[in-house]
Order: sequence, then structure tokens, then C-alpha cells
Amino acid sequence: MQALTWHGEKDVRISEVPRPEIVEPTDAIVEITATAICGSDLHLYNDRMPGMREGDVLGHEPMGEVIEVGDEVESLEPGDRVVVPFTISCGSCWFCEEDLYSLCDNSNPNAEMARKMMGQSPAGLFGYSHLLGGYAGGQAEYLRVPYADVGPIKIESDIPDEQVLFLSDIFPTGYMAAENADIEPEDTVAVWGCGPVGQFAIQSAWMLGANEVVAIDRVPERLEMASQHGDATTINYEHADVYDRLMELTGGRGPDRCIDAVGTEAHGTGLDGISDRVKEGAKLQDDRPYVLREAIKCCRKGGTLSVPGVYLGRANIPFGPLMNKALTVKTGQTHMQRYLDPLLGKIEEGEIDPSFIISHQVGLEDGPEMYQTFNDKEDDCIKVVMTP
Amino acid sequence: MSEYSFDSAADEVSNSMHPGADANGSRWRRAGSVALGGALVAFGLRRRSLGGTAIALVGGFLTYRSLSGYLTDAGGTEPVERSITIGESPDELSDLARDPETLERIVGHFAEVSEIDDDRSRWSAGGPLARELSWEMRIAVDEPGERLRWETVADDSSGALFDSWSLSFDEAPGDRGTEVTLEVRFDPPGGTAGSAAVERLDVVPESLIGTALDRFKSLAETGQIPTTENRPSERGRGDFL
Ligand SMILES: [Zn+2]
Ligand SMILES: [Zn+2]
Repeated sequence: MQALTWHGEKDVRISEVPRPEIVEPTDAIVEITATAICGSDLHLYNDRMPGMREGDVLGHEPMGEVIEVGDEVESLEPGDRVVVPFTISCGSCWFCEEDLYSLCDNSNPNAEMARKMMGQSPAGLFGYSHLLGGYAGGQAEYLRVPYADVGPIKIESDIPDEQVLFLSDIFPTGYMAAENADIEPEDTVAVWGCGPVGQFAIQSAWMLGANEVVAIDRVPERLEMASQHGDATTINYEHADVYDRLMELTGGRGPDRCIDAVGTEAHGTGLDGISDRVKEGAKLQDDRPYVLREAIKCCRKGGTLSVPGVYLGRANIPFGPLMNKALTVKTGQTHMQRYLDPLLGKIEEGEIDPSFIISHQVGLEDGPEMYQTFNDKEDDCIKVVMTP
Repeated sequence: MSEYSFDSAADEVSNSMHPGADANGSRWRRAGSVALGGALVAFGLRRRSLGGTAIALVGGFLTYRSLSGYLTDAGGTEPVERSITIGESPDELSDLARDPETLERIVGHFAEVSEIDDDRSRWSAGGPLARELSWEMRIAVDEPGERLRWETVADDSSGALFDSWSLSFDEAPGDRGTEVTLEVRFDPPGGTAGSAAVERLDVVPESLIGTALDRFKSLAETGQIPTTENRPSERGRGDFL
């Protein structure tokens, strides 16, 4: 079958690879009908994530049709249309039972390695390095889905792929980011980063009752989208000082809830940004926590900092201000299974049409080129959907 | 989505050198971290067969032991111990562990185990070392719901990787099930197997035991051990390509 494979920095190829097969009786095989490139795939593209091997199949935002199931699969059968969430969860461990699906104890075959890095291992993920399981990804014609009764959500209406595909990651991720912000009715919510997760965080902040949403980015088409579709007040950080502007918008209090939907690939400006790049170059830190630092500085005292953005390892952040301002920090990979049903409901009821985010729709074979376009933010590229 | 970095391993190395950590324990952890960092790098570059992995495991231990002179006054080695919490009762877990088929599956990442009779089993390290490292173990302690201990039969002619393999089961607080502790006393031969394997400093006993416990937990909680067997990649199909 055809698949997009990783071969090192800025080297994604379309390759011929073997078709996946049922290995465990709880597996399903899905024929992919739509699959997306995610911002976090760019960390792989830029070779910032250890544990990738040449030839690994990429992708963690797929959907398609079930074509085969193992003997013990009960909730799915061939012919079912499903969206597959990016986290792999067993459904039986203490964490799964507590609805903390992205912390599943049993789905990472390389848990020992992850434990060495972090103390404990989170769940395995599709197409996201051997540290996080080594599972083949979904930017391919077919995908093996382990624990098939636990992850995939069945789509029973004839709603098009484009509207439900983002249940695989970015819509629930943006929603959990807003939920983690503990929004109350009078709150101003500031969202750093207007990529796909940021866009969904903005929309979710309204759903959760925000009074005002402020969106911060530097890419005009993203800010335009945040304003048009997300009804957000926007700040282009290349043209305005973010702290000053936020204080102006909040009467000097600072936004009550701050969401960092940027993560490690932040582009800081001024001295701070340069200092981050130097430290990173000198291997003194793994991340560029520019946004985290700015959010800590701007956030209202006693406010909440929600971090769906991806960080790699050590980040140099001002812990003193965080503590003295009594901020609450909430973070984590998305507990996908919590959100699939309720968010599918919102889509089916017409409360949101997530397809607004799509800027490019291409065939799988155009994937390598699209990785480059997306990475370079060329051609107004915000979200790429591919059809095998 | 989230990601992790090699550099954390470096942190762990310095943590393990923190004063107050007991000297032996910290040395083990240090070796573990360094070796595992190496293993990850190796992992990023290539992946061997299952047999090769077993060689690496044994090699890692032998190299470590020879480098550090990690011997007690009595000439034996300190046991390596790890714990995990599993969401089942002590009785269920000790029954499961007592089943020879379970043993085969939870050590499948480095050894093959075949049943001789109800109390005895033959273990061999996977791959080419199987001929050099093959030994018999028998159950020496069998207290359902509390303790299970396998000991190597002393007069075995071939080499043994362990002296003993012991599991203990303690109820965890709340409804979290059971705290299972695995303690293994390693004692591989220093001779031919050692020299054959000695260059491959890859993984140490702690990692080997940690993975065995992970596999036991997954089997107990889900009835299967997570696998990427048959995984497609441009390298072909399977885990170890
Ligand atoms: Zn994603
Ligand atoms: Zn689980």
C-alpha cells in the first residue's frame, strides 16, 4: 500500500509499504478515506523528536471504513465508518477507567523507554515515534487500530468526512484546552497561536461561556480566520506589544484564562526570542518557551494557564512569577475518548462545522510537498487533508 | 500531542548522583540511564532481531558488571527490584503468574521458557545465546496471593542468567489493586557468553525487569501484551526491522 514515511529532517516520502494485518483479536483494520497533517507532525518533520526511524509511517489524524475486525471486537464490524483518535487506550487500566485516556498504562509497548525519559509512560500514539509505541501511522491507505472497541467512534450519519475528521485530534484538543482553562462567564480568554488547535480552542472558549476571546498570532490569514470564524479580538504580535495590548483590553487586570496553543516551536521576538534560540542551539534547553513566559507575565493573578501546545523536555520558565501570582497550570495530551461523543453531537446538531479550518485538500501522493508548504506557512496553508 | 527528549536521561544521571542516594542503588540507576540513552540512540539508528536484543541485554549486564566490579563481599550480586501496580487482586495475580504460559509471555522479550513439570521450567536467552545461556528453574516458594519464587537449579551444566526470580503481591491502597514487586538476582556466567556479548552495552537488568512487569500488567488487565508486530514501514513488516 502507499504511505507517507519519515526519513529524517525535512524528508517525507510517499512509499510502498506492506499492508497492516490483524495481530490481536481486539484489532481492526481501517481503510483510510481522509487523513490530515497535524502541527505536531512538524516536530517530526523538523527532526526534533527522538525515537523516529527511517521508513516509519506517519500520521495520527485518520478516518475511514472498517474492513476487517479481530474475533473479540464487539462494537465495530466491516463497513462501519469511523474516526480514529490519535491516542491508543486499552480501556481497562486505572487511568482509562478514570477517563484519563491519554495516560493509559497498557498501550505503549516501549513504556520502559518512556519511563526513563519521564518517570512514567503515557499512552502509545499512532505514527509518533518508538518512544510512544512505535505504531504505524494513518497517512496511509490502511491502518491497524489496536483496542478497536475503545478508540474509534462510529459515524452513522452521512455527514461528509471533512466535517468529522478533526474529531481525530485537533477539535477535541482545542476543546480540552478550553475546558482546562476553567472558563467562567465574565472571563476574558487569551489564546496564543491560531493554528488549528488554537482555532478550535477559540470556538470552544465561546461554547464554554467566555465573555471575550483574544487571539494572538503573526500570520495574517490565521488571525483573519480567528476573527471571522472565531469572533475573536486579534493581536498580531509582530505589530503590537502583546502585554500592553492585553492590559489595555482588560483594564490592566490581564486575561483571566490563558491558552498556549503554540508549544515548543514558538517564534519569540526581541531579546527573549533570540535568547531561546541560542540556548536551544547550545542544548541548554529543549524548547522555546517564549509563549509560556509571555502568558505567565500577562495572566490575571489567580488565573489559569492551559497548555495544549507540545513541549519536548526542559523549558526555562519563570516559576517565581507563576507561584507568586498563584496561577493554576493545566496541561496534558487530550483524553480523546471523553470528547468524541459530545463533540460529534455538536457537529451533527450544526453547532460547529470544523471543515472551516481546511485550506488544502490533496491526494496522499502530494503529502511530501504539503509537509513543506505547511511547515513554511506558504500558500495560506492552515490545514491539509489528504485522500489516499 | 507531546514529545520527549534524550536530555531528560542526562538529568536522571545527575539525579542519581545526588548525595543521599544509596551508593549501590545510585550506581545502578546511573548505569541504567547511560545505557538506556545508548539504547535509544541505537534504537533511532537501527533495530536488531529479537535474538540480538537478548544478546544486548545480557551484554549490557555483563559489561556493566565487569566495568563496575559490582560484586558484594560474598561474591554474589545485589538483587534488582522493581514494582508496579496492577488493577487485580493479589490472588488473581498470583494464580496468573503461577501459570507457565504467563511466564513464557512476560519474559518473551528476552527469553524462552518451556514447562518441564508443574514446578520446573527451562529458560533460555533468545537468539544465538540460547545455546550458551540455558538453565532450569524451579518454584521454591509458592504462597498464593503473597509470594512466588523461582530458583535456578544449581547443578545445571549450562549457564544461568539468574539465581532467582521472585514476585510478591501486596494490596494497593484504595481500589487500585495490587502492588507487585519483582526481585531478580542476576548471575550470568562471565565466560564465553560474556565475551561474545560484552561489546553490546545496550540495556541493563532494570530495564529488562521493568518491561517484564509491564507485560505482566498488560496481560492481567487486558488479556494481551501491546505489540507492533507486523507493523508496516518502508523497511518492511514487523517489530524488529
Ligand atoms: Zn495532531
Ligand atoms: Zn488503559
